[in-house]
Amino acid sequence: MSDVQTPEVGQELPALTLTFTRADLVRYAGASGDFNPIHWSDRAAAKLNLDSVIAHGMLTMGRALRIVTDWVGDPERVVSYGVRFAKPVPVPDDEYGVDVHVTAKVKAVADGRATIAIDARLGETKVLGSATAEVRLD
Amino acid sequence: MITDAHVGRSYPPTEPYVVSREKIAEFADALGDDNPAYRGSSPVAPPTFAAVLAARAWGNLFGDPELDMKLAQTIHGDQRFEWTRQLRAGDSVTATLSIDKVRARGNTAFISVSVALDAAGEAVCHAISTLVHTWPEEATA
Repeated sequence: MSDVQTPEVGQELPALTLTFTRADLVRYAGASGDFNPIHWSDRAAAKLNLDSVIAHGMLTMGRALRIVTDWVGDPERVVSYGVRFAKPVPVPDDEYGVDVHVTAKVKAVADGRATIAIDARLGETKVLGSATAEVRLD
Repeated sequence: MITDAHVGRSYPPTEPYVVSREKIAEFADALGDDNPAYRGSSPVAPPTFAAVLAARAWGNLFGDPELDMKLAQTIHGDQRFEWTRQLRAGDSVTATLSIDKVRARGNTAFISVSVALDAAGEAVCHAISTLVHTWPEEATA
């Protein structure tokens, strides 16, 4: 059984599967104020040579962090979080959407903080690059 | 067009944005996250809510005619947040944007910007982004 207060380097966090549907993108557009049409219009996506509407990078980033906040419980413990938007997440217009699988590992523990490396994949493709969060353990 | 001559440019703070319980709950719902910290009478905001406030300051870039930037031609390359604390309901937040670095490659510019989020003068978050802007081919010919 893992202990959040004294994590060990190499320890894995409980994995997470995130499903993205068109409805999720519409809801995030409204909540975030990001109405870029590539997140809701196939026509706009096609102009940028995308096969379909893609998820907001910030939605993928925000939802992936849950692997860390579920583990530490209190989101106030998160002190930094960074990602590179490596590949888009195309979201089909059907009832199933698309699944992104998130795993995470403790990379370092020092000075009352843990550094967590996050891996988010659509199939074999990494959608976030160098995704790393830092949490307080006190 | 934005060039490295614009590095160091910063803009006045945005008008204060007051974070509400309702907005926090709406944003947590949009993330599909039922963490109790985001609900109740004195919630904290999901950490990446900071992007919503930082994005208000990005508007300065698109509103600066010298830079010739359009939102529809901009892609979010990377994003990093450093928090002093998480945003809470009741915080009145301003966002101040600075241009930190500009690298041009052909008709594309990689623009590093940082946004300081302050709640009534208290520094709460630093949001650091790379925005990738592409101009139509003819504009750079």
